[in-house]
Amino acid sequence: MLSRESPSDLMETQVMRLLSGVSTHGDQHLAEVERDLVQMDVLLNEAIKKLCTSFMAIHHAIDLQQETLKSMLSTGEPAPEQAARLEMLREEIGQHVGAAVTGLQFQDMTSQLIGRMVQHLAGLRDVFGELGTNGAADLPESGSEEMLVMLNRISDRVGARCSELAGAVRSTVNQRHMESGDIELF
Amino acid sequence: MKTILAVDDSGSLRQMLSFSLKAAGYGVIEAIDGEDGLNKAKQQTVDLVLTDQNMPGMDGLSLIKALRAMKNYQSVPILMLTTESGDDIKAMGRAAGANGWLVKPFDPTRLTEVVKKLIG
Repeated sequence: MLSRESPSDLMETQVMRLLSGVSTHGDQHLAEVERDLVQMDVLLNEAIKKLCTSFMAIHHAIDLQQETLKSMLSTGEPAPEQAARLEMLREEIGQHVGAAVTGLQFQDMTSQLIGRMVQHLAGLRDVFGELGTNGAADLPESGSEEMLVMLNRISDRVGARCSELAGAVRSTVNQRHMESGDIELF
Repeated sequence: MKTILAVDDSGSLRQMLSFSLKAAGYGVIEAIDGEDGLNKAKQQTVDLVLTDQNMPGMDGLSLIKALRAMKNYQSVPILMLTTESGDDIKAMGRAAGANGWLVKPFDPTRLTEVVKKLIG
């Protein structure tokens, strides 16, 4: 079937295949990087919002705790309502610290996203590297047959590089907020 | 004091786990990946293992399989704590021997409630 095509048709087919492969794989890597950047932006905004809220709430609760302690010290003996208020404030501070602990986990998730982006960018570099290694410097001096073989080999190697990467990249982080995740006991 | 082995390659996550579990009265041993976790589990039998899935080298699922192959870890509760929440990976965790699946980020109160339920 191939033999029916003229050498220039075959060349055109191979060049188109190579360009299409580079475009598809390049686009896949860049789309993943773009998606991870958007995801990271969402998580960072959520985390900072959560941490700011927790910080202000802890600050406010400590202020109230200090006022209660001052009042207790001035009267000499703690009234039952003052002791109850202190206990309530202790619990409140604990809740806000817990929320801050959840918010602080953004570093773990964003670091996973950054790791994925680095892998995709390395993949893109590999694709271009394949073109460079097998490209202009190694162009056959004459003969469209050698050129066809070379183009075919580059296309195959670009495809192989992308398949290798697909298996190596970690799965993405899908969380869209910094609230705690689901818990399931088996 | 009950001891928990916390395995995660993220230093900040280990710090948060340690802080939360120690505040609830548990002892915590930290490990930086599956292999480190396995070595520490061999040195001392812990009461519960909490492990991440995606780690360089030995991942969480491999760690669970290795632990379940050890006589003294056949009935120790093992929880996965990971960003992954797909049904397939959960099923793999369950098949490997995990007792539960916690999706990050964790809430310290909910985490300690689950731990308390499993080991008291």
